[in-house]
Amino acid sequence: MTQHSRDMSRRRLLFGGAAVGAGVLLAGCTSNESQPTEAQTKAAGAPGGNSEPGKRVVIGFSAPAADHGWIAAITNNAKAQAGTYSDVEFKSVEAGADAAAQRAALSTLISQKPDVIVLLPHDGKELNAFGLEAMKAGVPVVNLDRAFPDARAYRLQIKGDNYGMGVAAATYMIEQFKAKGVSNPVIGEIAGMDELELTQERSKGFADTLTASGFKVANRRAARFTADSGQQEAAQLLQALPKIDALWNHDDDQGIGVLAAVNQSGRKEFFMVGGAGSKKAMEDIQADNTVLKATVTYSPSMASSAVSLARLIGQGRGMSDLVELQVPKEIILASETITKENAGDYLKLGF
Amino acid sequence: MSEREEETVARPEQQAAAAAHLTPAGTPLVETPADTAAGEVVLRLTDVVKTFPGVRALDGVQLEVRAGEVHCLLGQNGAGKSTLIKVLAGVHRPDSGLVEWRGRPATFANPQAAMRAGIATIYQELDLVEDLSVAENAFLGHEPRRLGFVRRGAMARLTRQILGRLGHAEIPPGRMVRALPAAGKQIVSMARALSHEARLIIMDEPSAVLAHDEVGNLFRIIRELTAQGIAVIYISHRLEEIREIGDRVTVLKDGRTTAANLPARDTPTRDLVSRMTGRTIEYVFPDRPAGAADGAQLLTVEGLTRAGEFADVSLDVRAGEIVGIAGLVGSGRSELLETIYGARRAEAGSVRMAGRALRPGSVGAAVRAGMGMAPEERKSQALLLGEPIYRNVTLATFARYARAGFTDAGRERAEADRIAESLELRPRDVRRPVRTLSGGNQQKVVVGRWLLGDTRLLLLDEPTRGVDVGARAELYQVIRGLAARGVGVLLVSSEVPEVLGLADRVLVMREGRVVREAPAGELDENTVLDLVMAGSLMEGAAA
Amino acid sequence: MSEPLTPTATPERAAQLPAQSPPVDPTETAGAVHKTSAPGRISWWRGEGGEGARRNLGLVGVLVVLVVIGALTRSDLYSNPDWVWDNVLSILKLAAVVGVVTVGMTFVIIGGGIDLSVGAIVALAGVWCTTVATQSYGAGGMIFSALTVGLAVGLVNGLLISYGRLVPFIATLAMLVAARGLAAEISDKQTQVSENGFINGLASNSLLGIPLLVYILAAVVAAGWVLLNRTTFGRRTVAVGGNPEAARLAGINVKRHTVLLYALSGLCCGIAAIMLTAQANSAQAAMANLYELDAIAAAIIGGTLLSGGRGTIIGSLLGVVIFATITNLFAINGLSTEAQNMVKGGIIVAAVLVQQVQFRSLTQFLGRNRLTT
Repeated sequence: MTQHSRDMSRRRLLFGGAAVGAGVLLAGCTSNESQPTEAQTKAAGAPGGNSEPGKRVVIGFSAPAADHGWIAAITNNAKAQAGTYSDVEFKSVEAGADAAAQRAALSTLISQKPDVIVLLPHDGKELNAFGLEAMKAGVPVVNLDRAFPDARAYRLQIKGDNYGMGVAAATYMIEQFKAKGVSNPVIGEIAGMDELELTQERSKGFADTLTASGFKVANRRAARFTADSGQQEAAQLLQALPKIDALWNHDDDQGIGVLAAVNQSGRKEFFMVGGAGSKKAMEDIQADNTVLKATVTYSPSMASSAVSLARLIGQGRGMSDLVELQVPKEIILASETITKENAGDYLKLGF
Repeated sequence: MSEREEETVARPEQQAAAAAHLTPAGTPLVETPADTAAGEVVLRLTDVVKTFPGVRALDGVQLEVRAGEVHCLLGQNGAGKSTLIKVLAGVHRPDSGLVEWRGRPATFANPQAAMRAGIATIYQELDLVEDLSVAENAFLGHEPRRLGFVRRGAMARLTRQILGRLGHAEIPPGRMVRALPAAGKQIVSMARALSHEARLIIMDEPSAVLAHDEVGNLFRIIRELTAQGIAVIYISHRLEEIREIGDRVTVLKDGRTTAANLPARDTPTRDLVSRMTGRTIEYVFPDRPAGAADGAQLLTVEGLTRAGEFADVSLDVRAGEIVGIAGLVGSGRSELLETIYGARRAEAGSVRMAGRALRPGSVGAAVRAGMGMAPEERKSQALLLGEPIYRNVTLATFARYARAGFTDAGRERAEADRIAESLELRPRDVRRPVRTLSGGNQQKVVVGRWLLGDTRLLLLDEPTRGVDVGARAELYQVIRGLAARGVGVLLVSSEVPEVLGLADRVLVMREGRVVREAPAGELDENTVLDLVMAGSLMEGAAA
Repeated sequence: MSEPLTPTATPERAAQLPAQSPPVDPTETAGAVHKTSAPGRISWWRGEGGEGARRNLGLVGVLVVLVVIGALTRSDLYSNPDWVWDNVLSILKLAAVVGVVTVGMTFVIIGGGIDLSVGAIVALAGVWCTTVATQSYGAGGMIFSALTVGLAVGLVNGLLISYGRLVPFIATLAMLVAARGLAAEISDKQTQVSENGFINGLASNSLLGIPLLVYILAAVVAAGWVLLNRTTFGRRTVAVGGNPEAARLAGINVKRHTVLLYALSGLCCGIAAIMLTAQANSAQAAMANLYELDAIAAAIIGGTLLSGGRGTIIGSLLGVVIFATITNLFAINGLSTEAQNMVKGGIIVAAVLVQQVQFRSLTQFLGRNRLTT
């Protein structure tokens, strides 16, 4: 950075402010290349397994318009994973802003006659009917993350474990308290959007696990999965709790703001656990120079896995390491705990 | 605010003294001993007073309406007709006085209450919902319903019945009102009145929106209504209509009844006119100096035209001269003034100040060229009511007193103070909000605004509307004083005597055209009234 | 009806109605005027000129009540003076970004408009100034681009409203949607981390114990106050909002001024974008969520008339600080955000109701006062 700014000042002398200004505006408009992180894929590697090319499969994909890094990563991952297979044709439709828009987008997808559909619905309940319809028409549906209530509406469901995230975060904290001999810890929680079921599940897993060990959350603020709301809620929470032992933040994207608030307050007496597992969080954990000591995953890598499994379903093959001849019906990813020790391994899965 | 409360308390004592039905000028009201209309009295107003901040809109109105008659209300603009209608329709509540409806004292808390009591009002701007059907408009607010659902069939049937009564069974109840011509809309308004079983229908200039042959149809309907015992209050500027359809006439002037229950057909026109124009207190106009027409040519307007408003108007104003424009509302006079000022864009013609053409449609250009305007609607077009007096006085000039964009409140107050002193503004504290001033003093603020800076031509649109008599005389002095200093004045007024008394030269406008131009001394009030009212008064006199 | 008919009532009435009654005798009327207006001259504080100041004092009262509630409910925290000072600063920091946006919003509302796009402009300017490319130009480039983007978007709003004759509500609503969309497009829906130490330092550094963000807020508020109360720009704003027709007929260029008002609001959003980026060390398309509503609500409880023509910068600032204090109060008591939002809604309604009652009783009071002197 410093090198950059020194170059900058020399250039400014040469070109003058106005020219630079125009450059800044234009650059802002066009150039953002290095911003998106690399997609998480599993290369078609070892011979003899599922990676061997088979029947040609058309996979239709739909996810809501991304307003958040995690969903953006889902779409990127799915596309990239499909790209690793020579026998997969990937057809993605933009799902718009709500369930109705997604339904409309899906009907155009159906008309392209895909072999399998991979779907991250806006709302599992609202798109249940679509799942049933597609299954009845003989197109297997892979539900990503947001479950259909009706088991006949999907061939495969693959999702993260929100309750488990809370459990993992609490478990890590309890271990730390034991190791440090803290008997009466002050615990803070920065949740995500409170109106979402997944936020409630995460908080419940967290609270249940803490209660089992006789601990409780001292103060909980709900942010909105954005960095600026994370900063504001964290700043207030720190104000409310002059001394903290541990802080769980549900989401690493909003965690950028939470960490900023922590830095701005100059507080260092506690450790923080993140959520979801962004690349930035993993790097911070590895560098070990912030209060962020761990994060519990809710990985968008599930989109890559979903595409791989959709291919197998389309080809009628099972998972090569399993005995079953077909892909299982339900896969729930375990929420893993990433710490300084294993961050290096997980870095490639960060989004 | 509470000034008025105080006044209402004072009123009852005065009412006793008012029993003698005297106009302030001392002339007794004309009471016709043998009323032509035989029905019972349905509505009687005694000494009704209504004040608004700064204005006494109604100042002792007497009115008596009988069942089955067409009672005409006559009066110049600003005489209080509209306020009176609104009092009857429940929009305003009188400050004092007695309203008796069908023999019992009544106050209508809101328009719905008046409707329920059986008083329906058909405003000039018809208050219909354009995107609802004829039937829905007719029964708006009291739709026949069962269990909360509108009975559409019944509503359509009833509407058809009413339209039949009005002689217009051909209008389909399901038609959107938007699709109807003006005359049709008026029928719907009347249908609404009948749907409420109105006993009294007030019609505010109903013929204004109609073509000539449609007026005959309107009269037929009115006759049918009165034959059913319904009373009609009919308001019109057109004397010929009053003579044709009216039974009795009540004349208003300055918010007071100057004559009641005159026979509509046989009262001589000069009587009616003198009741409308008769000065309650003679206005004192300043002397007209000789040689006003000798100043340098200041404003030159040539062939100015805006379709539907005015056409091919040419006029000029010299420095130090007061030019008056007489005409009715709707004659295009206000629009003409606003176009000269650049507030509207002319479609043809030119405006020049001291020989230089002005950019059309630009108020800024007009102001820079030295024009100033006191618009017709003081409150809605000229004043920031909540702001202090001095900021209203300097509204057009504050930028001149500013240094590098920073305003100089001290200097502004000093300048405004100077203006307030020279105009004898009361109260004089220029930091008061302008809202607290009376109408006359508010008008002084508006005029005073243009005394700052270098205004060379002042456009005045109804400068004395809603201004009480005393303040009027002062305003006249101010205007004449300006002219004496070499400012040119172009004055528009509905009050003919004002134009005649104040101006050096008079232009009469009718239907968008200048029909007469003459030095003020060569015209009299009747001649001008005759011209502005499309000759109808003189025809009426001949009949 | 005429006054001379009631001789007993006349002298009284002449005294009570100096300006309105016809001059029965000029000298007498003039005398009456003198009697009433000279001693009846109301002091600035009790008069309408002091209305804004009185209203603001009411808001300070609300603030005091909130602080007292905080002190009573968390006496353990409030017993520590260091913590109390820290808490005051944390409230001001919380208010800083919305406060800057609200200053611009106050101008727009006084000028008779509304700007629903402020949150979206903050997001767009924030995202624009944190792209990799922009960040390569350093803090100067980031600040320049945020301010320029804010100003430009505001200008577009103003042009659409003034010359495109769109209703402000519609024009800025459209801009809200479009600007968020563009922000999402540029950022590719990612959270863009600010790596710039100077920018991030704006939120973490202090001068003389007071955070830099608070200085920025103070500077914007001070500039806004001067602009509104001491310049021709401010005067035009009040005129254009209070009575656009009167302003136009007085020769003020209403259209041009309207454009400038929205541009000013956009500029404030640009400043706010830098502050928010500094606070969150990042920017994203979804940031500054619903700031438009926060800013409008703050302006309204601060006494700005939604129909235009009246409002104070200090009132708006107090409105923002009151909201921040409520958030703080709920946070330190560990109460839920839902309850907090309900209380905020209640405060908005209560503030407007109280103002109406205040205003009504004030005019009555003035009327009575004038009659008795």
